[in-house]
Amino acid sequence: MNVTFETATAATVARPQGRLDFGAAAGLQQQLEEVIAQKPAALVVDCAQLEYVSSAGLRVFLVAARAAKAANIPFIACGLQASVREVFDVSGFTRILEIHADTAAALTHLGTPAA
Amino acid sequence: MIERSLCVVSDAAQLQSLTEFLQQFWNDAQLPPAGAFPFELALEEVFMNVVMHGTHPGQPVPRVTLRLSWDDGQAALVIEDDGPAFDPLSLPSPDLNAPIEERPVGGLGVFLVRELMDEVTYQHTGTLNQLRMTKSLK
Repeated sequence: MNVTFETATAATVARPQGRLDFGAAAGLQQQLEEVIAQKPAALVVDCAQLEYVSSAGLRVFLVAARAAKAANIPFIACGLQASVREVFDVSGFTRILEIHADTAAALTHLGTPAA
Repeated sequence: MIERSLCVVSDAAQLQSLTEFLQQFWNDAQLPPAGAFPFELALEEVFMNVVMHGTHPGQPVPRVTLRLSWDDGQAALVIEDDGPAFDPLSLPSPDLNAPIEERPVGGLGVFLVRELMDEVTYQHTGTLNQLRMTKSLK
């Protein structure tokens, strides 16, 4: 899967595109771990272009959120499409992860209104 | 009534062709696109469980058969394998209320399938594990 990264003062925003299945999970996990190791002010995963997520993909969110928490880096997921949102809801991830409507809302929450 | 099946070896590299087979079936049967997601997810979860846990050391790699059907508003996904007998529905449900530090990283797949499908049944017939999943589509 393709992932783009945008780094600003307030946060690094990761935008995974397409299907986060078993085959894509390890690659995204490694990329998110590399971002966390660079100690961004916050990590926002914008899921607006994420079309599919399985339990292998949920695991990536869980592991990344834990690593961010351990490093005191706020971790936010945003922009979940309906079917992806349902998987997050059913698995209880909407309760253990911080989720916002979109990147602008996430940045506002972090104290930096989107320009 | 439309039915199709595909048989592959139990290997993670087959996941993509299985998914494409399901998507082709979905298109050909003219089923609602939004309804495909839980079936794609169920296919991945059940197939990957067989790939990762369904082989005895020293035994041949199991064969997996995917059967898809659509009849009277209901889609059915059946996954059969000739690996060791195992009922995935016997797995305990995850603790959804555990805090983030204590959530285990595994164990969600079968739970998601049970939640997203209308009905999931397991039977062991002869040498085959058979998991049947159905869901009504509007």
